[in-house]
Amino acid sequence: MIRQVSMIVLLMWSGAALASMAEHAQRANTAGIDVITYKTNVHDVVVIVAALPGGDAMADGGNIAVPTLAGMMLDRGTKAMDMFAIADKLDSVGAEVDFDVGTQSLHIHAKCLKKDVPLVIGLIASELRTPAMLPAEFAKAKQQFVGGLQASSQNSGARAHEAFERRIYPEGNPNRPHTMAEFAAAAKSVNLDEVKAFQAKYYGPAHMTMVVAGDVSDADTRAEIAKAFAGWSGGRDYIRSPATSAAASGPREINVALSDKPSVTVILGQATGLRYRDPDALPLRIGTAILGRGFTGRLMSTVRDREGLTYGISAVVSDDSITDGAWDISASFAPSLLQKGIASTRRELDKWWKDGVSAQELAARKQGIIGDYLVGLATTGGLADTILVNVQRGYGVSWLDEFSQAVEAVTLSQVNAAIKAHLDPASMVLVEAGSVAADGAAANHHPADGGAAGGHAAANGRPPSAH
Amino acid sequence: MYRPSDDLRHRCAMIAAAALSALVCAAQAGAAPASAAPATSAPATTPPAVTAHAPAPADAGSDGFTHIKSLGGIDEYRLDHNGLTVLLVPDHSAPVVTFEVTYRVGSRNEVTGVTGATHILEHMMFKGSDAFNDAKGNSIKQLLERVGGQFNASTGVDRTNYFATLGKENLEGYIAIEADRMRKLWLHESDRQSEMTVVRNEYERGKNDPDNVLVEEVTAAAYVALPYHHPTIGWRSDIEHVPILKLRDFYDTFYWPNNATVTVVGDFETGSVLALIKKYYGAYPHSPAPIPTIYTEEPAQTGERRVVVKRPGEAGTVVIAHKVPDGRDADQPALEMLDAILSSGKNGRLYRALVDQGLSLSAGSGTDLHYDLSLHTMYAALNPGTPHEAAEKALWAEIGKIKASGVTDAEVARVKQQFIAQDAYKRDGTAAVAAEISEWIGVGDWTLYVTFPQKVEQVTPADVQRVANKYFTEDQATTGWFVPVAAATGAGS
Repeated sequence: MIRQVSMIVLLMWSGAALASMAEHAQRANTAGIDVITYKTNVHDVVVIVAALPGGDAMADGGNIAVPTLAGMMLDRGTKAMDMFAIADKLDSVGAEVDFDVGTQSLHIHAKCLKKDVPLVIGLIASELRTPAMLPAEFAKAKQQFVGGLQASSQNSGARAHEAFERRIYPEGNPNRPHTMAEFAAAAKSVNLDEVKAFQAKYYGPAHMTMVVAGDVSDADTRAEIAKAFAGWSGGRDYIRSPATSAAASGPREINVALSDKPSVTVILGQATGLRYRDPDALPLRIGTAILGRGFTGRLMSTVRDREGLTYGISAVVSDDSITDGAWDISASFAPSLLQKGIASTRRELDKWWKDGVSAQELAARKQGIIGDYLVGLATTGGLADTILVNVQRGYGVSWLDEFSQAVEAVTLSQVNAAIKAHLDPASMVLVEAGSVAADGAAANHHPADGGAAGGHAAANGRPPSAH
Repeated sequence: MYRPSDDLRHRCAMIAAAALSALVCAAQAGAAPASAAPATSAPATTPPAVTAHAPAPADAGSDGFTHIKSLGGIDEYRLDHNGLTVLLVPDHSAPVVTFEVTYRVGSRNEVTGVTGATHILEHMMFKGSDAFNDAKGNSIKQLLERVGGQFNASTGVDRTNYFATLGKENLEGYIAIEADRMRKLWLHESDRQSEMTVVRNEYERGKNDPDNVLVEEVTAAAYVALPYHHPTIGWRSDIEHVPILKLRDFYDTFYWPNNATVTVVGDFETGSVLALIKKYYGAYPHSPAPIPTIYTEEPAQTGERRVVVKRPGEAGTVVIAHKVPDGRDADQPALEMLDAILSSGKNGRLYRALVDQGLSLSAGSGTDLHYDLSLHTMYAALNPGTPHEAAEKALWAEIGKIKASGVTDAEVARVKQQFIAQDAYKRDGTAAVAAEISEWIGVGDWTLYVTFPQKVEQVTPADVQRVANKYFTEDQATTGWFVPVAAATGAGS
C-alpha cells in the first residue's frame, strides 16, 4: 500500500516539476559566454559554476603539468591585486571562489550572497583574464603540485584508477591520464612562459559555460558579466574526437603494489565506446544502476550484504560527457578476502551480463533514478551542477525536464541489449591496488578469516534476499 | 588534476569534529546514493529571530505533544507518552523533506570488549525486522531506493543518527520503517557474522591512510580515562569478536524514544508531521530503566605527550592536540573564532606562516566538539623535505603570537562576516541543516545550533587571546608525527 501511494504521488510531483523547471532558466550569450541563469526559491544565496576547455588533455603535446599549474595560478593574484587582497575581499563577505582542473575542463565554483554577485563575478573575470603569474608564486604552486602528487601516490584508489584508465584508453585519447610520476617530473621542468602561453591560448569565452543559480536577477547578472568580461576573446573547443580510435592493448590483469595497505582497491571494467547522448547510453546506465548502485544494487546485496566481503562495491558509467567513456566496478577487499571477493564480483557480473535484468528491477530502478534526480535538484548547488553538465553533454536547459521522461521511456529490451552490445566481461581489465603480490596473493595476510558464509540467511529461517 | 587541497577557507569547529571523530557510516558515498557522513556545515552567526518559549503553533495533530520551546525557526516538542524529542524546521523552498533520528549514544558509551559496538549496531539497523525486510520487498533500503531517497546513517563519539532526504509524499513510509527499527530490529548472529567482515573492511580502509592512524593514536594518547580514548570504529579485535548478545544489550539499553530526537527539516505541515510521528513512535513506552550516564572524569594531564607513527608514505604530518572544555562551554565560541583566524583561507595565519612559506601543503586547526572534554587540534601536512621540527615550531609560533599579542579587530570582523554568509548558505538544502542539528544534539544542546553563532559574534579580540593563553600550553599538548618510511622490500610500487 505504501509503495503504490508513493509511486503515484512521486509521478504527480515529477509531472508538476517537469512542466515548469526549464521555465525558470534563461539562456543567452553574454560577453561571448554561454550564460544560464536560474531563479530558485532560496533566499539571498547565489551559486556560480562555470567550465571552459582548459583541462589536462589540452597540454597539446607540450609539458603535461601546464594545464594544472595554469589553474593553480588563478587565485594567486591578478595584475591589480595580490592573492591576499583577493582573499581579503572574499573573506570579508564570506564568499567562496575555487578553481579546479579536470580532464578536459577548468571548473569554477563560487558561492556568495546576492549582494556580492558583482564582486564575485568581477574577481572571477580578473583571475581568468589577468592573472599575475608571478615567478615566486609559480615556484610555490609547483612545490604544492609535486607534494600533492607524492601524497596521492600512496592512495590505493587514486593509483587503481590511474592504472585502469591508462590501460583502457589508448595513447591520444583525452581520457588517458598521465602517471603521477610523469606529472611530478613535468612539474619540475615546466617554466612560467609555458603556463602564460597556455592561459592566453585556452582561457577565453568561446566555449565557456557559466550557470548562475539561486536568488538571482537575470538582467542584473548579465549586466555584471557583460561589464566584467567585456572585450575578452579567444578560447578553444573541447577535444570531442580523439586523435586515435585504436583500441588500447596490454595485460588484462594489473597489480599496483603499495606497501602496508590493509585494504585493496579493485577495479574491473572496460571502455564502452559510448557517449552520454548515444541511444544506448541511458539504457546502459540504468542497467548498470541495477547491478551496482546503492544498497539494493545486486553487488551490494550479494557481495556485501550476503557474503560480507566488502564495505563498498559499486558499478558506474563515467567519463562520457564529451568523449566515449568507461564502465567499471570498483570495490575494496581485505588482502585475505581478495580472491573470494573478485570471484563473487565476477559471478554477479557474469550473471547480469548473461541473463540481463528483470522488468521488476527496471521499473523500481527507473523510479528511484527519477526520484533521486529530483531530490538532487533541491539544492542550488545540485541544480547548478546538473545544468552545467547537461550543457557539456550537448543538451539544452529543457533536458532538466526531459531527463525523467527519457528514463521512463527506456524499455527492458533496450537495457539488456545495451549491456550485451557494449560490455564483454571476458575481456575486461582487472586492477588491484594495495598490498598484494604480483600473482594477486595477499602480501600481508591476516589470520585466516573466510568472510561470512553466503547461505547464512537460510540458516536463521529467512529466505535469501529477494533481489 | 592532482591539485593538492590547499584551500583552507573557514573550517568551523563542527567540520573539524566531523573530520577528527572518525565518523563511520553505513555505506560509502557512491555505494549508497547518500551523503556518506553527515554534511556538517558551519555554525552560522546571523542572529536569528530568537523566540524562546514562544507559544506552540496551534496545529491539529499536536495533541499528545508538549511544546517545549521555539528558537531560531525551530520548534521543539516532547511526545508526552514516552519522552521522544521532536524538532521541526519548516522550509518550503523545495518539495523535499529530511527526516533524521538522533540517538544519544555513541562510542563514548562503550567499554573494553565492546568498542565499535555502537557502529556495528548502526550497520545491523539495516538488516530488517518482521514487518520490514528484504524478503518482503519493503526494507528501508528498498523503499528509499525505489522512491529515490538519499539516505544513510553515521556513528560518532556522542551520537548515532539515521537520516533520509526524500520527496515529501514519501515521508510516511520512511517514518514507519524508521520507527519500527527503534524497538523491533532483528539482531541475528548470522547477520552479525556477515556484517562484521563488512565493518572490518571499513576499518581496514581507514588504516590505508596514515593520517587517520595518526589522529587515532594522538586521540588515544590525549584521553586516558574518558572513552574518547578508543576510536569510534573500535579496535579490530572487538569488531571481530563482540557477541550478538552484547549488541542486543546495547540496543535494549539505548534505543528508546526518551533517548532519541527526531528532526524534520523541509516541506511539511506541522500538525500532519506530528500526527505521523505520534502514529509510529507513540506505540513505544519510555525506557524501562534510566539511560546510563558516564561518570568517568579525565585526570589532569601532567606533561606533554608524544606519538610517532612510522609507515610507508611520502609526506609527513604534524598534529598538536589539546583537551579543551565540553562543546557547551562558554569558552568554545572564542576558540571557534581563534580557529577561524588561524585557518580561514589564504588569509589564515597558518596559511601565511606554513603554506605560503613552503613548509606545508596545508595547515589548519579546529575543535572536535564533544559532550565531555573536547579535543582541539592544529595540523600541518608537510611539504617533502620539511623537517617535522620546523613545522611543529611554526605551529607553536603562531599560537605564541596570539598568546602574546592577540588578534586584530579586522580579523575578528572578517570572521563574523563569514559566519553571516554561512548562515544564509545553510538554508540551501535540508540535509545539511538536519546534520548540523544532530551534531549539536550529540554535544548536548541542540539550541547551540542557533545560539552558538550569536555567541561567536560577541567574541572580542581579548577573548581570543585569553583562551589561547588558558588552553594552549606545551605541558598540556599531545603531539603526533607521521614519519614516512621506505616501503618494505617487494611490496613497494
